[in-house]
This record gives sequence, C-alpha cells and structure tokens, in this order.
Amino acid sequence: MTDIAATAPADLHGHAHAHDDHDDKPGFFVRWFMSTNHKDIGTLYLLFAIVAGIIGGALSGMMRLELAEAGIQYLPGWASMLGGESTDTAGKHFWNVMITAHGLIMVFFMVMPAMIGGFGNWFVPLMIGAPDMAFPRMNNVSFWLTFVAFLLLVGSMFVPGGAGGLGAGTGWTVYAPLSTSGSTGPAVDMAIFSLHLAGAASILGAINFITTIFNMRAPGMTLHKMPLFVWSVLVTAFLLLLALPVLAAAITMLLADRNFGAAFFDAAGGGDPVLYQHLFWFFGHPEVYIMILPGFGIVSQIVATFSRKPVFGYLGMAYAMVAIGVVGFVVWAHHMFTVGMSVNLKMYFTAATMVIAVPTGIKIFSWLATMWGGSISFKTPMVWSLGFIFMFTVGGVTGVVLANGGVDQNLHDTYYVVAHFHYVLSLGAVFALFAGFYYWLPKMSGRMYSEFLGQLHFWVFFVGVNVMFFPQHFLGQQGMPRRYPDYTAAYEYWHNISSWGYAIMAVGMLFFFLNMAYTFLLGKQAGDNPWGEGATTLEWTLSSPPPFHQFNTLPKIS
Amino acid sequence: MTIMKRLFLAVMFAMTPVAVAAAAPAAPVATATAAPVAAPADAAATAPADAATTATAAPAADAAAAPTFEYARPVDGVGQPVPGGWDFQPQVTETGRYAHWLNNVVLLPLMTIVSLIVLGLMLWIVARYRAKANPVPSKTTHNTMIEVIWTLVPVFILVGIAVPSIDLLAKQYAPPPADAVTVKVTGYQWYWGYEYPDHSVPEIISRMLPEEQAVARGEPYQLAVDNRMVVPVNRTVKLIVTGADVIHSWAMPAFWTKMDAVPGRLNEVTFKADQIGVYYGQCSELCGIDHGFMPIAVEVVSEADFARWVASRGGTMPGAAAPAAAPAAAGAAPAAPQAPAAAPTDTPAAPATAS
Amino acid sequence: MTSLAQRIDPRIRTAFSAAALAAGMVGLGFASVPLYDLFCRVTGFGGTTMKATEAQANTAAAQQTGRVVSVRFDSNVRNGLPWSFRPERPRETLSVGARDMMIFIAKNESSVPVTGTATFNVTPSAAGRHFSKIQCFCFTEQTLQPGQEMRMPVVYFVNPAMLDDPNARDIQEITLSYTFFPVDEAPAGS
Repeated sequence: MTDIAATAPADLHGHAHAHDDHDDKPGFFVRWFMSTNHKDIGTLYLLFAIVAGIIGGALSGMMRLELAEAGIQYLPGWASMLGGESTDTAGKHFWNVMITAHGLIMVFFMVMPAMIGGFGNWFVPLMIGAPDMAFPRMNNVSFWLTFVAFLLLVGSMFVPGGAGGLGAGTGWTVYAPLSTSGSTGPAVDMAIFSLHLAGAASILGAINFITTIFNMRAPGMTLHKMPLFVWSVLVTAFLLLLALPVLAAAITMLLADRNFGAAFFDAAGGGDPVLYQHLFWFFGHPEVYIMILPGFGIVSQIVATFSRKPVFGYLGMAYAMVAIGVVGFVVWAHHMFTVGMSVNLKMYFTAATMVIAVPTGIKIFSWLATMWGGSISFKTPMVWSLGFIFMFTVGGVTGVVLANGGVDQNLHDTYYVVAHFHYVLSLGAVFALFAGFYYWLPKMSGRMYSEFLGQLHFWVFFVGVNVMFFPQHFLGQQGMPRRYPDYTAAYEYWHNISSWGYAIMAVGMLFFFLNMAYTFLLGKQAGDNPWGEGATTLEWTLSSPPPFHQFNTLPKIS
Repeated sequence: MTIMKRLFLAVMFAMTPVAVAAAAPAAPVATATAAPVAAPADAAATAPADAATTATAAPAADAAAAPTFEYARPVDGVGQPVPGGWDFQPQVTETGRYAHWLNNVVLLPLMTIVSLIVLGLMLWIVARYRAKANPVPSKTTHNTMIEVIWTLVPVFILVGIAVPSIDLLAKQYAPPPADAVTVKVTGYQWYWGYEYPDHSVPEIISRMLPEEQAVARGEPYQLAVDNRMVVPVNRTVKLIVTGADVIHSWAMPAFWTKMDAVPGRLNEVTFKADQIGVYYGQCSELCGIDHGFMPIAVEVVSEADFARWVASRGGTMPGAAAPAAAPAAAGAAPAAPQAPAAAPTDTPAAPATAS
Repeated sequence: MTSLAQRIDPRIRTAFSAAALAAGMVGLGFASVPLYDLFCRVTGFGGTTMKATEAQANTAAAQQTGRVVSVRFDSNVRNGLPWSFRPERPRETLSVGARDMMIFIAKNESSVPVTGTATFNVTPSAAGRHFSKIQCFCFTEQTLQPGQEMRMPVVYFVNPAMLDDPNARDIQEITLSYTFFPVDEAPAGS
C-alpha cells in the first residue's frame, strides 16, 4: 500500500545509536507498573491475554471433560474445590458459572486485550510512524483497569451467587431477570462491575487510538496509505466508542434493578426484560466485529508480506471494514429471533444480517487475490493466516444460515450456534492472534521462534479445533441446546468426539508454550526484517526489538 | 441417486397421514393400546389424582363414557435425537419440512459450495504461486471488473436466499385459524405448566422424570416428563407462552418451533403436527441451575384420543370441535411440495406411526 | 474564543470529540428506556396496546364491516402475590370496530392487605397497534383488603384499520394478557 522512503531513523541496533534518549529505560517497577511506553504496555497486554487465555481455556477444558460422557461426573467436586458445597445443586450452578466466566474471559480479557491492547498498542504507533500513543498515561490507566476488572471477575467466582453456589451463573449475556431477581448474592454485582471497568478501559483505549491515528501519523502517511492493520484498529476503536457505552448503560440499569429497587428490566415494575436484550445486543453484535476486525487487519498484513505482493484492492479492503462496522450496528436483533417479535422486524433483521456477508466476501476474495500471482512462502504466520481464511469462511457461511429468522427458529440457542461462533472466534480470531503473534514475535522479542514447532502447533491445533467444533453443528441440528451440563444419551457420540478434539488442541498448545520457551532461551537473533521484501510496513525498518523510543526523527512517507 | 431417494421418501411421506387417517376411524384405540407405557402403575403414581381415579373406571369400548388415556411409547429416531445423528430431526409440520428443505436443499449446498470454492482456490494458489513455482511476484493490486463481480455475485445469491427465507417467515407467522387448539404454556424454574383454556383443563405441571422411571417407561432420560402436553394431529395448535420467574424458551425440534417464555409478557407461536407420535424438546434459554433438566414432551394423538385425554383430565371438548375434520385435513397435508426434501434420511417414519 | 480553540492541542480536541461521542452513547443507552416505551406505545411493538378516546371509539364503531374477531383473555399472578385473578369469561367474539367490555376479577386470598400492579400485552404482536383500550387498570396500583374482591373493567375495541393491515387482517383471535405483580418487592442484590 505504501512505499517507504526510509528517512526513518535507520537505526539497526537501538542501543548503539546516538539518540539523545535511547537508553533512558526506567527501573523495573516504574517500567512495568507505571508504564507509559506503548511497547511495554503492549507487552503487558499480551502477557495478560496469555494468562487470561490459559484460565479461560482451562475452563473450557473442564467443560469438555464434563461433557465427554453423559451424566454429571465432576461438577460437584469442582464446586467444593472452589469453596462451595459438594452438592448436585452447587455442581449445576458451577456449570453456569463456568460458561459465564469462559465467555466473559475469552471476550473481554483474552481476545480484546490481545488484539487491541497488545498488537494495537505495539504496532499502531510503529506503523504510522509515531513516537508513542497520544496519551501514554491514559494508556497505562486502561491496562490496569482491565487488570482490576479481571481480578474482580475471577473474584466473583468465589463469592455467593445465589442458588446455593458461588459465582455468577447468568451466562455472559447477563440477561434480566435471571441476572436480577434470579440471582441473589454479590457475585453478579461483582461481575457487572468488572464489565464496567473493562468497558471503561476499552473506551479510554478507543479514544487513545482514534486520537493517535488521526493526529500522529508521520508526514505523508495519509489515511489512504495507512496499513490495513491500522485501518482495522481505527474502525474497531469507533465500534468500541459507540457500542460499549450502551453496554455500560444497560448493566448500570441492571445494578440499579438489583440493588436500588429500580425496575428498568423488571416487568413487575413496568419494565421490559426484552429491552435489556435489545441494549445488550446493540453492544453485543458490534462486539463480535470488535473481536474480529483487528484479526482482518493482521491477516491482511501477513498475506501481503508472505506473498511478496501489496494487498489487492486496498481501498475495497479498508472500506469493507468500515461497511462491516456500520452494518454491524443495525443487525443486533438476530440474536433474539425467538423473543417474540413481529414478522416484519424478523424479515428486516434477516435481510440486514445477510448483507454483512457481502463486505466479508470482499475481504475473503481480496486475500485470495493478494496471494494470486504472488511468490508465497509458507512460514508459520502465513499458515495460520491461510487457516484463518478458510475457517472464517466456514464460520461465516453458517452465519448466513443462522441469519435466516425462519431457520433460526430451530437452531437458536443450540450447539449449531456454539459451533458457528467458535468457528469465527476460536478458529477465526484466535487463528489471527496466533498468526500475528508469530509474525511480530521476532520484532517484539528480537528472537526467532522455532519454525518447526510453529508449524506443528498450527497443524495439531487446526485438527483439534475442527474435531472439537465441527461435530457441534450436528449436535445443534439434532436439537442439543446450549449451556447444558448434561444431556440425553443420544448426544453422547458427538460430545465425546468433541471432547477428544479439545485434547488434541491442548497438545497443540503445548507446542506453543514449548516454542515460547525455545524462543526466549535458544531463539536466534532476528534481524530488523526477518520476512524479506514483502514486509513493507514501518515497523520492519526499526531494529528488533525496536528502541525504547522510536521515530524521534519522524519518517517521511512518499 | 438422491432423486430416487427423495422420490421414495416423498411417497412414504405422502402415505403416512393417509395411513393414519385410514387407521384412525377403524381402530380408535389403536395408538393407545398398541404401545402403552411399560407399567400403568407408574403412570398412575406420577399422574395427578384425577387421572389415577379415572384410570380405575371400567375400561369400556365407548371412549366418551370411560375417559382412560395412556401415554404412547416414543419411537426411536422420531421426535428425539439419535446417536451419531447429524441431520435435523424428522420434521412433522409443514413449516418444519419447508425450513428443513430450505436448509438442506438451498442453504447447506450453497454454503458448502462457497466453502469449497474458497478452499479450492486457496489450494490452487498454494500450489501455483508458492515461491518455488513462481519466484517473481506480480504487482497487480487492482482489477475493477473482478472486484465488481465478487461484490455483485454474493448479492444475487443472498437475494436468491432471501426469497424462500422471507416466505418461510410469512408461513411461520400465518395467523392460526379460529378453530386452533389453544394451549397456555408457562415456564417455571424448573418445569413447565400446560393449561387448556378452551377445554377447561386446568394447568398441568410437567416435570422431568427421574432416570429409573424414564427407563421403565421406555423413554430417553432427560427428555422424558411425567405429564406430557397432548395435542390432536392435523390441527393447528396455538401456544400462548409466558414465563413465571425468569426467561425460559419452549422448544420442539421436530416441529421447528421455539418461543421464549418471558415473564410479564405473552408470546404466541403455532404449529400443526401431522404425524401421531411422541416428540421431545428442551428448555432453550438459560434459566438457572436446572435449565438443562426441564424437558418438554408433546404427544400428538388422534382427535378421538385427544377427546379421551381431555376427559381424563376432567375437561370438556368445546362443542364446535368436529372429529370428522381430522381425516379431511390429513388428506390435504401431504400435498406440500417441500415434503420430499424434508423427509428423514435415515429412519422412514411412516410404518412406525401408523402401527 | 477562536484563539483559545486554536491554542488547544489537536489531540485534545480529537480526544474530547471522541469522549463526547462515548458520553452521548451512554446518554442514548439510558434514554432508550423512555424511547423504547414511547416507540412501543406508538407502533404497538411487542404487542403494546393503544389508548383511545370516546370519540375514536365512536368513529371505529361506525366503520364496522361485520367481520368478527375473537378476543381471548389471559390472566397471570406472579412473584407470590396471594391473589386470585381471572377474567369473567375466557373469550369473547365481537365485531371488528365494536366496543366491548370485559371484567377481570381479583381477590385477595390472604389475611393481610396486599397491593398489586399489572402489566399487559396482546398477541399476536401485529395486533397491538389495532387493539385500543378506552379504559383499563394497567399500572394503577390496587390495594385489596383481606378477602376483598375487586371487579376491574377493560373497555376496548378492535380498530377496523386492522382489516387494511396486510400483517394483521387475517388474525382470527387476539389474546389480551394481564399479569399482576406484588408492588413492594425487595431488591435482589446483596
């Protein structure tokens, strides 16, 4: 998309160079706890996301273990291990706590911090030629708010949540009245407050990104020359800015209903529980694009780099993301097709939802066209990106099926939906995360990962998640509802296979952690640009890792 | 091959209601006697007192005089999931078959083709444009024609999908006729209540059966309930659905029906089952601890059996209900063009329900 | 003023614009409560019924075409309100446009005075905008003494405009549902 006449600080090894302030790294505590450096904060976010991902992934492992066979085997034991009772009731409640925590952790504390907080912080300033984010201190506040939010959410699993168990068992959607009159005890309040903090952190982050991208681009870096990853973060930041406040308002009203006798969503006082669902999904649908758009950006960079070709249809790609963002705000009620809505409304939301397939298709085909005629090398990041493109397509087409309100009348709230959103998130967003991680790890750490372990990680993980999630389509078509700790014997066949898929995936993750250990212990030094001529964005003109302060002389983009 | 299969299944489907209709007048008690539940004592133990007392009345040929009713046994593969099954459950409503057709004949093939095209293109690109095969990359970044094509072709496909999709919605929302059987469904934490306001049948509480009892009755555990919702075959049933405490969702996969039960608000949904049998569903909106343990069971019976069931519950049939209407309606149902595609692929249901 | 605006760092300006946008969306989130209520009352969304005046009722009555519609009455009591609550008759058949009245009977079955309030809607939801009430007891709190019985009338008509609405003209039966809740309920939280 842009050629860089590198008047960039042609600084290969930051330490040796004669910048005024190249080596003024603060001490450990100040550097990591009061950080104002976008790269350090990005690193903190990535580490945080990995820890949250381990916890959220462990929860899903426990769920798949429980679901591997019909009957309830482990839940009461787990409930008592966490300080609850060892009863059947506490066990079933703990199930609901697990589905809630898994959803919230993966959405708010794994994917979002990694995509936006991690890669966004690290690479948006580098890619647009800025010395740092616009508001470095606010950046730090965002991170620590997220951190405290996570502690609150995890903490909520250890306080009474009503129904004879510990923790919030409302599902990540926190629907009223289950979350109000249906759940006594402070756990749900804690979880809601956690969402407040995470939301505030994301809004501050969004303001920071928008300001940075609009005001701190290097000379010549026009909006239409920005790398697509920066575009994706810009669109995502606007989605955050418009969607999260609505969630904040909705969950504030939930708190009022719970604690102050208000009745915003309580029919007994003239409220409407369905309004909560409208507000939640007005946030919730853009939220899924918040999770996937930065992934689109990452994959665009990687596909172009390893095809040694500029992105095909750059403007189409950028504005497809804008279109997805805009249309994403007017399709929310397809998440509530069975709530009892009029036929006209259902027809509208069916049609509007299907429209999103058009810009998404543009992106898929543009990636293929970028590779077309290229000279492709299949390094680990590229393999993950190829996996992303295909798996996201599969998740996307089942989305078109679910968009049909009439068809959804059967599939709604079944495992088909679970399969669909895990294909676009667990095989979509997460593949993009791994792709980005392997792509930028040499830049961030200065060391090369093991290509062999990276490929092995991909293939094992790829097989694992497909074995895990593809059979869930069948379960859904057979009628298996979501959020069930147990099931009738006929569903055992596919559930069992699905659980084996988790085991395979877990082995894949083992290779990931091995690879990380290898990289930091034995990894070879990565040059400034390990990917060759295809890597054209500004971060590759800097040393690996980049100097603590970069672009003291702004690069010029021709 | 598939066309032959579909033709065969179409014939099977077309015959089913006819067989049911033919069998019904000849042997009014056929469904009740052919497949009674394992132990009538069980039924009496769990059923409310009125059912138990009526059950002791002398079994006479005249159904109206002696209102006895026994639940039928479910048939494997109908109205419930099957081990390893991957398709939808066999649909027994016209809109269900239409939706099943829309998914299996329109959406699924289209979506598979789209996915395979992307995969195929990708594999071809991988083979053709790997660095070894193509050392010098092209610098093409635009091709307006192809960009317009890949924008417009999906638009046309989506418009094509939208036509039957919108049509399906319209059919699902068709207002029920005046003679529809109204059942009021209330979702509770964690059981269901069924009331028949036009038949003076007071609310029947329907709870999940414990494992031993379900097994004893030959029913799948976690789907079996003590008291089923009983509705007549080939009659539109209008459910008015509400929740008592939190939101629940009444779902019946074999009818392609699902409706949320929202407290403080009434929702309406209809279905018209055209095959006698037992069908299972489960609560489909997270409602707390026992969300997974409040199943739904609907037994679709002949008009005569329905009258018997109503009487056994102490209710009365509204005067307007004409039993003669059932065979007439049965004849009309299988004419649906979408029946073939929606036919179950693994279990021909026809002989089972006619027995 | 302009000089002040010019002196402000453009970054601050962008940030404040963005923050204002976010604050506006928070406001919109809260404003959605009255807006949603208004939207429902205007469009009949979700089966919200209409309010009508005597004059409108008379106009509707003059437009009767002889088409009849059945109206079903549904009643619910929730959250442990110790009342019995039933319509006098479960359903009524009337001419579209004609005015009718149904009496709901509530009785306090407990030994203490209890206050309740009712919410309501009609199904199918497309009928909401055509179901007009001239008089009703919705959201007016009712206190019943122990054993007291109260007869609460609903005066309503089905607007003949329903017959011109392609989504509603085939409707054979409209269900009017009332749910009574107790009024003073303790908040659920900690």
